[in-house]
Amino acid sequence: MEADVVIVGAGPAGLACALRLCQLIDSGQAGALSKDNILVLEKAREVGAHMLSGAVLDPRALAELLPDFAAEAPLQATVGREGVFLLSSHFALPFPFIPPPLKNHGNFVVSLNQLVRWLGEKVEAQGVTVFTSVAGRDLLFDESGRVNGIRTDDKGLDRTGQPKSNFEPGSDIRSKIVILAEGPRGSLTRQLHGKLALQGRNPQVFGLGVKELWQLPDNRFPAGQVFHTMGWPIPPDLYGGGWLYGLPQNRLSLGLVTGLEYTDPSTDPHTLFQAFKTHPMLRRILQGGEMLRYGAKVVPLGGWYAIPPNAGAGWLVIGDSGGYLNPQRLKGIHLAIKSGMLAAETVVQSMNRGDLTQLESFDQRMRESWAGEELRRVRNFHQGFEHGLWPGLAHAGLQTMTGGRGLREFYPATAGHTRMQRLDQLPNRNEALERREVITDRVLTFNKLDDVYYSGTRHEEDQPPHLLVADTDICSGRCVREYGNPCQHFCPAQVYEMAVDEQGIKRLKLNPSNCVHCKTCDIMDPYQIITWVPPEGGGGPSYDGM
Amino acid sequence: MKLLVCLKQVPAKDAPLKLNSAGSWIVEDVSYEVSEPDAYALEEALRQKEAHGGEVTVITVGPQRAAQVLREALAKGADKAIHVEGDGTQLLDSFATAEAITRAIPGQHFDLILTGLQSDDSGAAQVGVILAELMGIPHATIIMQIEPVPGGVRVKRELEGGAFQYLEMPTPAVLTIQSGINKLRYATLMGIKQAKSKPLSKINAETDGISVELNRLVIERLYVPGAQKKTERITGTAKDAAARIASVLKAQGIGAGE
Repeated sequence: MEADVVIVGAGPAGLACALRLCQLIDSGQAGALSKDNILVLEKAREVGAHMLSGAVLDPRALAELLPDFAAEAPLQATVGREGVFLLSSHFALPFPFIPPPLKNHGNFVVSLNQLVRWLGEKVEAQGVTVFTSVAGRDLLFDESGRVNGIRTDDKGLDRTGQPKSNFEPGSDIRSKIVILAEGPRGSLTRQLHGKLALQGRNPQVFGLGVKELWQLPDNRFPAGQVFHTMGWPIPPDLYGGGWLYGLPQNRLSLGLVTGLEYTDPSTDPHTLFQAFKTHPMLRRILQGGEMLRYGAKVVPLGGWYAIPPNAGAGWLVIGDSGGYLNPQRLKGIHLAIKSGMLAAETVVQSMNRGDLTQLESFDQRMRESWAGEELRRVRNFHQGFEHGLWPGLAHAGLQTMTGGRGLREFYPATAGHTRMQRLDQLPNRNEALERREVITDRVLTFNKLDDVYYSGTRHEEDQPPHLLVADTDICSGRCVREYGNPCQHFCPAQVYEMAVDEQGIKRLKLNPSNCVHCKTCDIMDPYQIITWVPPEGGGGPSYDGM
Repeated sequence: MKLLVCLKQVPAKDAPLKLNSAGSWIVEDVSYEVSEPDAYALEEALRQKEAHGGEVTVITVGPQRAAQVLREALAKGADKAIHVEGDGTQLLDSFATAEAITRAIPGQHFDLILTGLQSDDSGAAQVGVILAELMGIPHATIIMQIEPVPGGVRVKRELEGGAFQYLEMPTPAVLTIQSGINKLRYATLMGIKQAKSKPLSKINAETDGISVELNRLVIERLYVPGAQKKTERITGTAKDAAARIASVLKAQGIGAGE
């Protein structure tokens, strides 16, 4: 199959890009580009099914893309009362005022799943084909090493990789332009970075957001009420924080982001989230409620200096894949949409000039837009938290006064997995182990398998594993001794288990069907031997209403 | 051969279902998919078309969201689709659904009408049978195999206990298809692209006189079955234990009578 533009990922960035291309075609600015030659690939069975966010939406970019969005878009509520709390294990200290970066007046509480589903309908109504249940498996390059297409996933392979009777091999889509909008830690984006040796000035760092959607018995947490928390149960030396967002019909979105840059290999973001709910303030809010949905996804936190080159001859990278997320506000949807729009404008300009090297102007367009300005103002934000909450907050205050600079122009960062300490180097080993214990009562707190059920996750069982572990001898040997197999702890879906075999040796047992596509393993494994590749298209979570 | 396949959109398997506050229906905030037995019916129809020529039309009765199962069927190779659409059509019972299908295809001739054996949600196994009755044509259920013969088809039915029945029947006819008789295909990229230009006709259920008024089945109450399993550990000597087991069985009315 041939295309002019193929977009991998039907999220806010990819769909905004497709929609903006259609607008430019409609207004006659896009020359020979036709909607028929724009293809969007999405690995989920339905558009929006793999979308997970809090979410509070800054509408700035959406208003540029669709000026009538307020009347049409499925916005859950306008932000009303706001609160920021510093938690200890038993107390919640409200901030006397809302720090300016956390102010959300004029923003909307949304379900990203529903917002993206709506954007998908808009794109399809334009005549662009969105191929759901189709994953991008490989980037294709021409003889000169230039990106020129996508190979989609094979379907109908059994667990040993042999074709079944309904085998359908992946297709090669040759395209003038490939746009990667895969979300954080995209698998094709990684291929691209590997092949072209691309990286930002700093390595990208991530947090893992673990979320549940709850039904509350009454309107004790009104729609549009937005609370953020800092402190407990996130250890003081680690970056992270919680959210509670009121939704209509007495529903509540709550979650906890844990920095994937911790030192203690037994850190378990899912367990921390369960502990979070046992805080007296949350316990009171959730009392008598019922958990409806569960999900987990990583967030790129590195900001400005972690953004790699996102444009080259024949390719662009947008949204979370490109690192466009404001780490101070923990907001990326508006930047994803903006990056998609600017990508579309860059594509049209370079196609009109018949020169695909013009795509490289995208990076500059982003830098010079309000999105770039917003990111630059918080360019050293996350780095300040490398030593924990208090230095981070002090530093954040200093940056606010210096326009994002801090004490110097550039603060370096270290990749999260390199900060993990070996067991024998951990000073408070027992304390760390205790943190892992949260009693699950299946009313307020849940174990990983219960939660996975509520994520609606399903995969074809008889397919090759999509978590490629380069050397499982490391798992059974070095990792047992050195780190105690952190994969068992960081995975929020119990994909990784260490089972003892007949010889009494611990062996890695994979449960790929549980995978909620959060990408934590690909990021946090200390030996960097796990590669996440997309499973057969259509598999994965079903984040209805998340 | 002209084939019609009836597809139903049901909540995705493993979707976390919640009941509405009135206890009359589920909260419809879940993902939906085609009922699996209907997917096998579609696959069988596509294979018949590939082997013997003809045309496959798919039909569904459901709200707007149900168009998804038609688009998927078109992407897999169906030629046309009919959507009997209306708010609340998911509340129709088997009779009303069969009636809706009958009214949607007046004057159209199909050699075979295929349905899944039963739906994944209500599992009534009625629509196909009632449809045949309403149309005045023969039907056969739990079909494992279809082979055209002059004037009709020869089919293999699954019976209880591993037995099969082979019979020849005239067409037009309605067949309800057993799950697992073939291997479901995947939609190809080309198929997905071409599906957009295939005809999908919409029929307004209301103007066709289709509503829950036609239902002959009333849902009194939906509820999640409570845990019923009770385990009792019987200890003691073999003799005492045997006596205890006998009394438990008797109390439940199981075992030798007079």
